[in-house]
Amino acid sequence: MKKKVLLSPIDPVHDIGLKMIKRGLEEAGHEAFLLPPDLKPEEIIQEGIDKQVDIILLSRTLGYGVAELLGKFVDLAEATGLRDRVKIGIGGMAIRPELAAELGFDGGFGPGTTVEEAIAFVEGKKYNPKAHFVKKEKKDMTATYDYTYKHPEIGKLLEQIVDGILEWAKDKSSPGIERAHLREEMIDLRAKDGASQELKKLQEEYASYSDDMIANFYRKGEIISKLRRFTGEEYRAFKDFVQRSRKNLQTPSILQHVEGQPIVWVQYGTGCPFMDIAHIKVSEAWGADGVVHFDPSWAARTEGYMEGFLTHEENGSVITPENLFEIKNALQDSTLWQVRAHRGLNVTETVVLAGLCGADLTKINIAYGSMAAGTDPERLTVDSIEAIKYAAKFNLPYDLPTNEELAGVPAHKAFAGMLISTALGIRLGARPILQPLFAYSPEVMINGRMEDNYVDFNAAKIYALRSIINAPIWPGAPIGFLTQTEDRVQSSVTTGLHAGLAASLGVDAISIASSDEAYSGGPIAAPSRCDTLRSVGEVFRNLGQTRIQSSAKAKSWSDELVLGIEQVLKAVLKKPTFVQALYDGVLGSKEEGAYPGRNGAGTIFTRNMV
Amino acid sequence: MSQVFAQVLDAVDLETFLICDSEEEGKRLILKMLRDFGFTDVDTVFIQFEGPGVRVRARGYVHKPGDRYGWLKIKGEE
Repeated sequence: MKKKVLLSPIDPVHDIGLKMIKRGLEEAGHEAFLLPPDLKPEEIIQEGIDKQVDIILLSRTLGYGVAELLGKFVDLAEATGLRDRVKIGIGGMAIRPELAAELGFDGGFGPGTTVEEAIAFVEGKKYNPKAHFVKKEKKDMTATYDYTYKHPEIGKLLEQIVDGILEWAKDKSSPGIERAHLREEMIDLRAKDGASQELKKLQEEYASYSDDMIANFYRKGEIISKLRRFTGEEYRAFKDFVQRSRKNLQTPSILQHVEGQPIVWVQYGTGCPFMDIAHIKVSEAWGADGVVHFDPSWAARTEGYMEGFLTHEENGSVITPENLFEIKNALQDSTLWQVRAHRGLNVTETVVLAGLCGADLTKINIAYGSMAAGTDPERLTVDSIEAIKYAAKFNLPYDLPTNEELAGVPAHKAFAGMLISTALGIRLGARPILQPLFAYSPEVMINGRMEDNYVDFNAAKIYALRSIINAPIWPGAPIGFLTQTEDRVQSSVTTGLHAGLAASLGVDAISIASSDEAYSGGPIAAPSRCDTLRSVGEVFRNLGQTRIQSSAKAKSWSDELVLGIEQVLKAVLKKPTFVQALYDGVLGSKEEGAYPGRNGAGTIFTRNMV
Repeated sequence: MSQVFAQVLDAVDLETFLICDSEEEGKRLILKMLRDFGFTDVDTVFIQFEGPGVRVRARGYVHKPGDRYGWLKIKGEE
């Protein structure tokens, strides 16, 4: 039912809140009158009588003498008879609900009161804060892309390279692939009763494809000395912590101010799954949309995974089925979860575990993983093909990081490598996501491409990729790499500005660092995650649908990148195999800082020899 | 350390401006301050000396990954 509402500051200054409430009331179909500031209580009451209003809403910003003034207003309202037929509410910076009730007001609204809350008071309805929150939901970044090549020549080159890779790899396997198949069976068996003998047999077979320290876990129950198991008491307390955190976080923050601003990811891997989850809960509360699991580098160099709830005091959190299941179970329903599988000797099994543990995405890139992350190119190519097949099977999109740029590989070479793994994924039925770096990389330092600004070259990367293929883009990882320092403010600002650029370019997602990511003396602290999440939210709010404009240089650099990519792909095709191209530095040379990895060298075998 | 420290998720950061004559002096002072507060695992995350002294962000770790966390207790059982 339509109400007549009188809005008045009972103050020498005006309250912007009343203007917002007036607008809200009118939009809701009510009639609202806003009086000027600095009126006496008698004047306000007279206006209420003359206009025959149903409700009076007052606001008071100044705290001085507030109780006396408001007491006087209520007394006058009673004396004139207005109090009997008009509902009176009071809000503003100086008001607390307890004070309002004590003075005889029908409603009191302190700082932080929403327009919706005031409208509910006018309409006599119970205010439900959750009714006005937009429900946070997971977003599929790949949903609107069809992966068509916009650059036919590059598309053709990529298809030829993929033909060659699949032909070369068709009869090859590795210990990692065999373990991945066994892991799938083992997890399946664990769900069945009375399968312990069969499981033991599979574990023994798994051990035969593993390094000694992993084999000792399955054969003797020994865990690596740097690890420890959680106690039962810790586990019970952890479950309690998760339950309380979930209860306290019923409406996670939303960083995006307008539709289409990028999904925001943070990375975790403190070494301890429980600490990880604490950081994840903080990140979720401050608006992160997705979290990326970082595993330890020593584990990537080890053949095989252990089992159980395991923690340690080194960077990266150990992948075990139990650790992943617990992390997954602790996440908010709206939180996207990625488990990385881009390098190391357990790539295929990682995708299997990611899929079986309920991850939303994984991460695979042969060129980066082998040229700048230590894994033998031959081994990683064979394992990644199987990993991509699993990613398709488990419906896990995967992003392709190009962090070899940080070693010094030029962007066009890193992009050529990324596009090859992209094309491979498309062929195998998976859904790849391009991940160019937004970074102050060695290449741009040497060539002075960011001497003026951090915008043009990063924008050029996006323009180049968009001119080649219609695929999702997720700059990382994290954005602003090598622009951040240990200075909390500087780091938060540069992260926010790079996020603003990403939003301007309309990309699908970003990964962000914490404000202490550049500090190397110890682990990241949770409040530093809040810093950069707040920063990104503020920049998204500040920009809305406006855009940061790149200069003409971005377009010319984009053209250069595309030409460079095409030349690199042609050079790859001149080599006997893609793997040989990796060894020979076509996708990043030793002079540029890329070195073919050695982990897993010589471990490939042909399937008919298994 | 105070019982409240048990509730610190991981670390306490202290940001301030110290009047001093060099970055080294500022670093020595802030680390002493943290130790005086009862922190044992201390470091400077960021320090910048200009003019009258240092703008500094120092950190005392209370819980590092893999530790037994004081906050990881069932509510009501502590």
